[in-house]
Amino acid sequence: MKTQMKRPVLLLTLLALLALALGMSLLMGPAPTSGRDLWNFLFHGDKSYATIFLDLRLCRAILAFLVGACLSLSGAILQGYFQNPLADPFVVGVSSGASFGAVLCLALGFQSVVFGVPVQSLFAFATGFALVIAVYLLSRRKSVFKVETLLLTGISAGALASSLTSFLLFLRSDSFEQAVFWLLGSVQLADWRQVVTVAPQFLVCLFIAQWLAKDMNLLVLGDEAARSLGSPIESVRKVCLAVATLLAAVSVSVAGVIGFVGLVVPHGVRILVGPDHRYLFGLSSLAGGVFLVACDLLARTLLSPTELPIGIITAALGAPIFIYLLHKRT
Amino acid sequence: MPALCIWIALLCAGPCLAARGQDRILYDDLGHPFPLAGPPQRIVSLAPDITETLFALNLGPKIVGVTRYCDYPPQAAKIEKVGGLVDPNLEKIQVLHPDLVVAFRGNPIGIVNKLRSLHLPVFVFDSGTSLAGVLEIVGKMGRLTFQTGTAESLCRDLEDRRRQVELALENVANTPRTFLSIPGQGLWTCGSEGYLNNLIVQAKGINIAGGIRRRWLNLTREQLVHDNPEVIIVMAKDFEAFRSSRDRLLADSRLKTVEAVRTRNIRFLDENIASRFGPRLFQALVDVARILHPERFPGKP
Repeated sequence: MKTQMKRPVLLLTLLALLALALGMSLLMGPAPTSGRDLWNFLFHGDKSYATIFLDLRLCRAILAFLVGACLSLSGAILQGYFQNPLADPFVVGVSSGASFGAVLCLALGFQSVVFGVPVQSLFAFATGFALVIAVYLLSRRKSVFKVETLLLTGISAGALASSLTSFLLFLRSDSFEQAVFWLLGSVQLADWRQVVTVAPQFLVCLFIAQWLAKDMNLLVLGDEAARSLGSPIESVRKVCLAVATLLAAVSVSVAGVIGFVGLVVPHGVRILVGPDHRYLFGLSSLAGGVFLVACDLLARTLLSPTELPIGIITAALGAPIFIYLLHKRT
Repeated sequence: MPALCIWIALLCAGPCLAARGQDRILYDDLGHPFPLAGPPQRIVSLAPDITETLFALNLGPKIVGVTRYCDYPPQAAKIEKVGGLVDPNLEKIQVLHPDLVVAFRGNPIGIVNKLRSLHLPVFVFDSGTSLAGVLEIVGKMGRLTFQTGTAESLCRDLEDRRRQVELALENVANTPRTFLSIPGQGLWTCGSEGYLNNLIVQAKGINIAGGIRRRWLNLTREQLVHDNPEVIIVMAKDFEAFRSSRDRLLADSRLKTVEAVRTRNIRFLDENIASRFGPRLFQALVDVARILHPERFPGKP
C-alpha cells in the first residue's frame, strides 16, 4: 500500500480501536455491569451506576488516553530531535527527575493537596522539569552545542537522580511499598481534575508540535542544511525539548513512570506511515492513547480485583507488536 | 427578670448542645472530621488489623469487604475481597455501597483521597507505637461504630491481661537482651518507634535495637554480634518457616559467638498474631513474656 493511502487507513483503524477500547473500558470491571446498565444510564438517566461509569471508568480511560498520547507525542518529538530511534521521553532524565521528586515528597511526609492537585504530583513535575533544564544548561556551556552531549548528560543526570531515589527508598523503608507502586505507574487514582489539568497542556503541546513539524522534517538533513534552508533551527530545538519535557513531566506527575509507550508507539507509527512529522505527531498521539487505554483495561481486568501495574502490560503487549513491525519491514 | 432567666437557661444549654454536637463528629487520625450518623451497616475494612478489631467488637456480620490479607478470624476469609493493602480496588469498594470504609496506615494516601472524592465515608486509623495504642484504636472504633459498651469491656479485658503479665513479671531479676527477627531479607527488626519494641519492654526484655529511633530497620550481622542478644525471637508464619530461619541462624558461622546462638535460645513467635496492630497483640505480649521469663509462667501455654 502507498504511504498516502496508509495514513487514512491507520487513522480510521485507530479511531475504531479507540471506540472499542473505550466501550470495553466502560463495560468491564470488578463491578458486574451489563450493556443494559450502560444503556439505561445513557438514555434513561438511571443513576445507580453513575459513579462507576463516569467517575471511575470513563475518567480513568480518558486519563489513560491522555497519558498515552502525551508520552507518545513526547517520544515522537524526541526521536526527531535526536535523530535517534532509541530516544524516548525518559532519555533526557524527565522520568528519573520526576520519580525523585515523588519519592522525596513521600520521604518528607508531605501528603497534602493543593488546588486539588496532590503535592506529590507538583513535586514530580517540578523536579522532572528542573532536571531537564539543568541538563540543557550543562550541555550548552560547551562552546558548541551538540545533541550527543545533551543525550549523555541527560542519561548521567538521570542515573544520579535514580540513585538518589534508591537512597531515599532505602532510608525510608516505611514508605517503600507506596513508592514502588508509584514508580511502576498506574492511572487507578484518575480524577476529573487531573483530566482537566492534563488535557489543555496536551492540546497546546500537540498544536505547537504540529506547527513545528515542517522544521522537524528538515532536521533529517542535518542542522547546517536546515539552517541554510531558512529554518530557525536553534529555536525549533529549544521549543521541541521544552514541549517534549512538559509532556513527559505532566504524564509522570499524574500516572507515575509508564515505560515503553514513548519509545515504541511513535516508532511503530513511523514504520507504518513514514517519517513525515506532519502526520507522525497526530497519529502517534492517537496510537499512544489507544494503546494505553487498552493496556489499562488489561491491567485492571486480568487479575481482578487485583490491579497489575500498567508498566507490566505496556511492555508485555508492546514488545511483541514492535518486534513484529520491525521484522515485517526488513 | 424573665429575660435574665432565658439568658441563664441559654448559657446552661449552650455547652450541653455544643457537647452533643461534638459527639456526632469524630476526627480520624489524619484530622478529618467524620459525622457519626448511626451504627454502620455495611463496613469495608482496608487492613487486616482493622478487620480483626471490627470482629473483636462483634461487627463481623456488618463487614462487606476486606483485603486479601485479612485472614483472622477465619470467618474474614469468606468476606468479599476488595484488593490488597496498597492496591484496594476503588470500583469494588464503590459497588459494595459501604456506609463506613475504615482505612489504616499503609493504605496509600492517594487511595484514601480518591475514596473521599467519591463521597465514600472514610475513616483513617494510624497504628500506634505501644500496646496502649491498641486500646485507643479499640475505643475510637467503638465510638465510630456505636459499640462503645463492647469496646469498653474489650479494653477492660485487654488491660486485665496486660496487668496479669505485669504482676507475673513483678521484680524479675533479669531483663534479657533480645533480638526480634521479623520476616524479610536480612536481619529485620523493630526500633523504638515500632510497637513491638513496647511489647518486649513490657515483657521485661531489652530490645537490642530499642535505642534506634525507627519503626523497622535492618540490622547488620556486626551489630548483632556486638549487641550479643541472649534470646532471639523469630517471627514466622508457621513452625516450619521458623525452623528453617532458626537453622539458618544456627548454621551461620559468623554468628557463632552470639550468646543466643551458642545456647540455642532461639524461639518462635507467631507472625500472624504479632504483626497485626489489634487485640491479639496482648496475646503476643503473653507469648513474649513466656519466652523471656518461662519460670514466671508455669504450665503449658
